[in-house]
Amino acid sequence: MKLVKAIVRPNKVDEVRDALETLNVGGMTVTEVRGHGRQKGHTAIYRGREYDVTLLPKICIDVVIANDVVEDAIQAIIRAGRTGEIGDGRVFVLPVEQSYNIRTGEQDAS
Amino acid sequence: MNTTLHMAAGGGAGDHEPGLAVGDTGAVEHPPVRRGELAANLAATRREFALAARQGHGGRATQRAYAARMDGIVRRLVRAASTLTDARLVVCALGGYGRQTLCLHSDVDLMILFEERIGPNEERFVNAVLQPLWDLQLVVGHQIRELADFEDLDSGNPEFLLALLDARPLAGDESLLEPVAARLAGLDEGDRARAVDSLIDLIEQRYAQFNGTIYQLEPDIKNAPGGLRDLAALRYLHTLGGERFNEDRASARDAIAEAEGFLLTVRAVLHAESGRDANVLTHDLQERVSTTLDCPGAGVQQQVEALMGAYFRSARATAGALARARRRARPPAAIAAPGRTSRHFEIAPEGIRFADATTAAERPSLWVEIFRLAVVAGCPVSEQALDCIEQNLHRFGPDDLLATEADRQQLRALLRPRPGLYARLSEMHDCGLLMRLFPELEGIHCRVIRDFHHKYTVDEHTLLTIRGIEALWNPATPARRRFGAILEELRSPEYLTLALLLHDVGKAGEAGGADHAQESARLARAAVERLDLAADARHAVEFLVRNHLAMSRVAFRRDLDDPHVVARFAHLVGTEELLKMLCLMTLADVEAVSSSTLTPWKEELLWRLYVDTYNHLTLGYGDELVPQDPAGLAVVIAGRPDDIAEAELTSFLAGLPRRYLSLFGLASIYRHVRLARGLRRDEVHSVLENHDDVWELTIVTLDKPFLFSNVAGVLSYFGMDIHRGQAMTTPGGLVLDVFEFSDAQGFLRQNPGATGEITRMLDRVVAGWVDVPALLRGREQSVLYRRRQHEAPRLTFDNEHSQKYTVVELVADDAPGLLHRVSRVVSEQGCDLDLALIATEGRKAIDVLHLTRSGRKLVDAEQKALKHGLERVLEGADETR
Repeated sequence: MKLVKAIVRPNKVDEVRDALETLNVGGMTVTEVRGHGRQKGHTAIYRGREYDVTLLPKICIDVVIANDVVEDAIQAIIRAGRTGEIGDGRVFVLPVEQSYNIRTGEQDAS
Repeated sequence: MNTTLHMAAGGGAGDHEPGLAVGDTGAVEHPPVRRGELAANLAATRREFALAARQGHGGRATQRAYAARMDGIVRRLVRAASTLTDARLVVCALGGYGRQTLCLHSDVDLMILFEERIGPNEERFVNAVLQPLWDLQLVVGHQIRELADFEDLDSGNPEFLLALLDARPLAGDESLLEPVAARLAGLDEGDRARAVDSLIDLIEQRYAQFNGTIYQLEPDIKNAPGGLRDLAALRYLHTLGGERFNEDRASARDAIAEAEGFLLTVRAVLHAESGRDANVLTHDLQERVSTTLDCPGAGVQQQVEALMGAYFRSARATAGALARARRRARPPAAIAAPGRTSRHFEIAPEGIRFADATTAAERPSLWVEIFRLAVVAGCPVSEQALDCIEQNLHRFGPDDLLATEADRQQLRALLRPRPGLYARLSEMHDCGLLMRLFPELEGIHCRVIRDFHHKYTVDEHTLLTIRGIEALWNPATPARRRFGAILEELRSPEYLTLALLLHDVGKAGEAGGADHAQESARLARAAVERLDLAADARHAVEFLVRNHLAMSRVAFRRDLDDPHVVARFAHLVGTEELLKMLCLMTLADVEAVSSSTLTPWKEELLWRLYVDTYNHLTLGYGDELVPQDPAGLAVVIAGRPDDIAEAELTSFLAGLPRRYLSLFGLASIYRHVRLARGLRRDEVHSVLENHDDVWELTIVTLDKPFLFSNVAGVLSYFGMDIHRGQAMTTPGGLVLDVFEFSDAQGFLRQNPGATGEITRMLDRVVAGWVDVPALLRGREQSVLYRRRQHEAPRLTFDNEHSQKYTVVELVADDAPGLLHRVSRVVSEQGCDLDLALIATEGRKAIDVLHLTRSGRKLVDAEQKALKHGLERVLEGADETR
């Protein structure tokens, strides 16, 4: 199993979710986050006063995925989340050692 | 079958042996306590309790009986442990157990009080009593005390003091409690006041956890406002408050008993169904409780609504009684001093009241006024007035309450967001007046709509949005302060309140789904018609209600980096005023969903959309002309009166910015067309009108150098204070300027022929017969013109936002003649002022000027020269030009 952590634009979260659902990816955790990568924010001017928008709002989607569909899921996230502009986000893949269902106490197959 | 517990053997009041003194019985043989037997008995008792609870009989009688069984267990343990110590002691029940309202999984709160210092034997006694209780899986709250602890009662420790008020002796020497009771009774006024203060602080802390409202969709029936803790707090206040609460105590007795009976019965079901000390009436448990209590209704949903209706009535009565007690104990500091405020009203310690309730009962025009005065005075509306209104409400309909313009004005004045407005509107809602004024609210009264986000009933959510706006007067964070600044800029914030009141009325009935905004807008139309609002206000309220979800959808779900997204949203709102109102409405609406819905993340996105849209509306609007809005143009053409031909209309509109259609209603547009007829060079056609306290000058003329500056100078010459304005120049040279201003020095008010004098002066100025700078020279040297700058002026040049114009944004302290001087510098630098937005917000002038020079944007050197000239004007160094 892998933990796939995708940082995407807020307006792309529905498309990414839909793309993952077509792969029968069951659960996901969605978190509002702020940060920056190469897209270092910008300076906005309101009424002649500048203010920095250095930490940009993004959405973090966490999904735990079986090894055999990880590659498909990554590609699905990239396709759905891409606009081609700087600031489209990142996908990280981390190994998951074990996974349990709290209600039943059962361990998921790795 | 009634299975209410009626216990006698082993646990009832008759089992109490008041003469038993543990210290005297050290030599007496007691049968050992068989723990297995105790556990079996307790389990059987609990099964009985659970069965009774599931049949809807877990209320006061059952809990009293259960407490009695628990008494029996404690007494057996005390008897068995009494061989371990010779000390005089008493074991007491505290809290709910002390009051004999012990629910199935409630804590068992005990106090063991020793006469003397506690030694090893006494510790063994304590263990011998408590350990078996723990072994029975009971949650035991225990206080082990020595009599010396009570020599100096700490009134600042309210929890302990309050616990003592509920102390009920179970075993041991009751007389040990007498000195404690005597010390409690002997508390002086200062101690009692401190205890009351501490209690009120505890209540406020508890209320804060629930956002201060009873109208929770999934209420905690013990801790939330209106719950069981409120009933206990009410009793404590009545006890600590002494004689001055006698009247309250008597009047509230029945209501408290009824509310408590209901809550205890519901709580028993929660404990029985969840198998633990659960006090939150979740959606799932609402269904089970409503079935258990056989609530009326054809289906589960109706039964749940009946249950929650009963809960909210009970909670409202409880919270209302506690609020009255709190006010009596700690009267709020009213802004106004007590006494008669006018012929009809007087301010008393409990709030503002009718001077003559009999007269007020017949004069509903006084009802809204009393709430408005209460907001102004910073005090509540008294029970006397609320009762008077509630009892007479049925005799009057909305049309009676808003029969005259004065009545409608009172309501509009009341709705201006200020501290205290939410509390007063809540009082209006509770006494029924708000729903009588706005029958549209009836459908959402205590309306429960289940979703993952909303925490409150629809009507309470509605009122909380208004509390959110009110809170912007004292913003808690720097991030919130920027929204507070927007509120200060609104011209008519009362229409924002009105829109918030009506924004969710479409959630009544079956139409309460995703399309509720449309239904709300339909219902809001009737309300704004009753209020007889001006056309622009009516449009604003309807727009806000219909589009109250639009900004959050764009801000949180769309790509704000895409300029088309911002442009489309800007076209939807049309004007800065509507943008500001919609932004605040969105902020308040999201925040009122629950205490955690409006995250800094969402706040940031909302602000970003606001700024980008504001900049689009003010900096980038010049590039789009009316013909690029075919739908808007079609509406104007379709509605044209007979005297205006389509060709004349389209020719007039052709060169005006698209924004023009958003700024002006149809009637104004047609009037502008007529004004433009037969215009010749050096002529000006103008209209000067008065709307309430604001004057509006509309001029149509042909462009020429210094025109805008000279018109602004004329207004300045006559002492007019320009608040806002629009100036538009078409590529064909037609100029349309609209100025709004106040008659700051009373020239128009005091001189009957003044309007004619101003328009004649305009004619002469446009014809070139008057030298405006010379006209103003004397005035510009006066004190009024030399105001000190509070804030450094800001000048921004922008060559990016617009394809055609250099946009100059100027923010500076307002001063008489400023607009004239600024625009004069623009003309002197050889620039054409094609478009201008003039705004004054508080003491700040915010002007956005769209400039060209020889038909193109300004190059760097030209910008530099203009900037230098403008800075000299703004710094006051060049005022006599």
